[in-house]
Amino acid sequence: MLELRNIKKIYNPGEITEMCIFDGFNLSVSDGDFVSVVGSNGSGKTSMLNIICGSTPIEGGDILINGGSIVKTKEHARYAKIGRVYQNPSMGTSPNLTMFQNLSLADNKGKPYGLTRGVNRQRKEFYREQLAELGLGLEDKLDVTMGSLSGGQRQAVALLMSTLTPIDFLILDEHTAALDPKTAEVIMKLTDKIVHEKKLTAIMVTHNLRYAVEYGSRLIMMDKGQIVLDKSGGEKKDLTIESVLSLFTQISIECGN
Amino acid sequence: MKKTAFKFFAAALAIAMLCALSACGSTVPVIGINQYGEHASLDNCREGFLQGLADAGLVEGEDYSIDYQNAGFDDTIAGQIASNFSANNVAIMCAIATPSATACFAAAEDKDIPVIFTAITDPVEANLDEGNVTGTSDKLPVEAQLDLIRKLQPEAKTIGIIYTTSEPNSVSAIAEYKEKAGDYGFTIESVGVSAQSEVTLAADTLISKGVDCFSNLTDNNVVGVLSSILEKTNEAGIPVYGSEVEQVKLGCVASAGIDYYELGRQTGAMAALVLSGKATCEELPFETISEYGYYINSSALSEMGITLTGDVAKSAVEAK
Amino acid sequence: MSTFLDLMVGTLTQGLIYALLGYGVYITYKILDFPDLTVDGSFPLGAAVTAVLLVNGVNPYLTLLAALVSGALAGLVTGLIHVRVKVRDLLAGIITMTALFSINLQIAGSNLTVERGVDTIFTAGPTMALLGGVPLIYRKLLVSAIIVVAFKLLLDIYFKTKNGLMLRAVGDNATLVTALATDKGKIKITGLVISNALVALSGCIVCHEQRSFSATMGTGQVVFGLATVIIGTTIFKKVGFVKGTTAVIVGSVIYKTCIQIAISLGLPANLLKLITAVLFLVILALGNIQKGGVKKNA
Repeated sequence: MLELRNIKKIYNPGEITEMCIFDGFNLSVSDGDFVSVVGSNGSGKTSMLNIICGSTPIEGGDILINGGSIVKTKEHARYAKIGRVYQNPSMGTSPNLTMFQNLSLADNKGKPYGLTRGVNRQRKEFYREQLAELGLGLEDKLDVTMGSLSGGQRQAVALLMSTLTPIDFLILDEHTAALDPKTAEVIMKLTDKIVHEKKLTAIMVTHNLRYAVEYGSRLIMMDKGQIVLDKSGGEKKDLTIESVLSLFTQISIECGN
Repeated sequence: MKKTAFKFFAAALAIAMLCALSACGSTVPVIGINQYGEHASLDNCREGFLQGLADAGLVEGEDYSIDYQNAGFDDTIAGQIASNFSANNVAIMCAIATPSATACFAAAEDKDIPVIFTAITDPVEANLDEGNVTGTSDKLPVEAQLDLIRKLQPEAKTIGIIYTTSEPNSVSAIAEYKEKAGDYGFTIESVGVSAQSEVTLAADTLISKGVDCFSNLTDNNVVGVLSSILEKTNEAGIPVYGSEVEQVKLGCVASAGIDYYELGRQTGAMAALVLSGKATCEELPFETISEYGYYINSSALSEMGITLTGDVAKSAVEAK
Repeated sequence: MSTFLDLMVGTLTQGLIYALLGYGVYITYKILDFPDLTVDGSFPLGAAVTAVLLVNGVNPYLTLLAALVSGALAGLVTGLIHVRVKVRDLLAGIITMTALFSINLQIAGSNLTVERGVDTIFTAGPTMALLGGVPLIYRKLLVSAIIVVAFKLLLDIYFKTKNGLMLRAVGDNATLVTALATDKGKIKITGLVISNALVALSGCIVCHEQRSFSATMGTGQVVFGLATVIIGTTIFKKVGFVKGTTAVIVGSVIYKTCIQIAISLGLPANLLKLITAVLFLVILALGNIQKGGVKKNA
């Protein structure tokens, strides 16, 4: 359903800092895949996400969703069918608005933001139910401003917001990296739950090898803009953290890290 | 927190009340003077005005008291001063310079307080020629100035003039200069600025164009930085003709100009008439000064190598 | 005593009229987090358009609409410069403001006075029919109050709509706006348009009130607007969103009162601005002391 074809990306072309990160990069993600992407810093994982979402332009190649090219679509238009959760919990919600207002905004994604009432009282019950399922006690905090909540709570709401409306796939951009281990665990479990319940296709970039191995249906390791490991289905289940780690270390040593 | 804000508000109101009460206490008619800003010409106007009142036999403290406010060249403050005068029920509003006059006339509408202005170049254009308003106009004697320059610098061809594009007095004066200059064999090089900070740059431009002399209008921005202009023109050996005696004192070579003190006095006399009920503003059409004096600055003249000739030498007065 | 009342009424009227300017700055500076200097140009633009229309016999109430439209256009220009040409916020505003100075001169010349014979919104037929018996200064107060309160309510309603919420989100977290599939550029432009429309409306009413337009009347208005917003929001620390619009009115009235006090104190005229500055300092300090410490950047 998502296809990256022959992607070519050069940072700072023509300057001293010129770096070609992708040259003929290909990736195919099928419906329902839950892909974990690991790799060292500079391997191109985040660049790949940004290329898919449109915040980074490409020099060559094509990006297709369900067969249709989205290369010419503007960044914000792409997000109509893409949900994204960022590493920084502050980036997923509007701090000065209440949880109710944030959810109402998210609920309206894809539709025009016109002069009708911003919040929908009738949906409040629905939001409460959705929040209750997260199991974090957030359902009582609908009228609290997001800025006063903790990082973990904001990230949970961000996760909910990104999946409130129908999307083609969900992008998780190291979304547990900034959370403490306990909260990270909670968010990861929630992510898994939501992805399965809503039958979403998801791409998760993470540094946490354990999450990469334990969750998801497919694991990709990237290095210097190339895919060096791609295991799905049965093969993935057989992966252990040790084997992934040793491959990881091997590449890193080769790089001189 | 709302309580403290409220307390503060209450305190502010109390202070304002005290001020107002003290104004209320005065039973002598108050003349409110709304002066646009402080510079020599306008100050002279004010002093002349006060003298004019005295000349008419009125005594300060007995027949009137003065409330002098200075707007610091800020239109909004001029407006607030005017509303203040209206609220305080002054007997007459005296406005010095156009922005103050327009503000006073608008504020006076409520209670139909008489407005007497001075130092306005074109009262007709400012819509201050009808109604309960009158005063004196300081229309620039452009022709007299051109004549003076021609007499002192028989060979000169171009006159440089700096003016503020948003000052109507200056805009109409420039138009007149350009119209009449040809009659005296001059061409005018003018540079328009929008703020006082651009004036010295404008001076540089005119100097580089090789003008034979500068002439000043009664432009607040230009007059405000006259000393910096003079520094540059003195170095370049270009004489500057002022529009009024204070400027000649400062270093301009000469001026065929108005005496703002006299202008003020004329205004004071009109105010005295209105105050004592001998006339109303409607009955008094605005007046202009028709007599121009020649003022000279001998040391500036000799620095520029200009010698006084014939009739100018006879009637010129040294600006002291 | 009537003097005092007159003083209060006059100051209150000024405070109300300039509150519209405050709204404009509130929207761009506080909500959009976009320092917009267009204000120094759109304020006199409203006045210029109004003066010219009045002098040419146009219905005074129509000038309100004309001013709104002219201000909206000014905001649109700044928005387009910022979003399409990608000039940064401060500079985009400066460009428009500078251009407007010349445009205003073209529209109304350097000064334009509206003679007493011409009707303003304070003296025209419909107003007189409603408030004929009331003295002029009270009429000015009432008409201004009606207009300002009307727009306050409109704004309050707007900020509760989807579009309004999005506007608030853009200043808060622009990344979120993009992630919600919305063009943040369009939202910013919307904010600038609304803001400058209100600012121009303020200029329009000022022109009705003082019956004149002056090309330099815009100078420093953005500073006034900022002071108003900051004073207002400092006084109302716990700003629930509705109170934001009220806070601006309060801030504007306080500012004008400060100047009025400074004038009334009869102190040397040259110290007027210094006194005003001192009064601000006192207000802001009081606001911070209440909270028992230094509040973070207002």
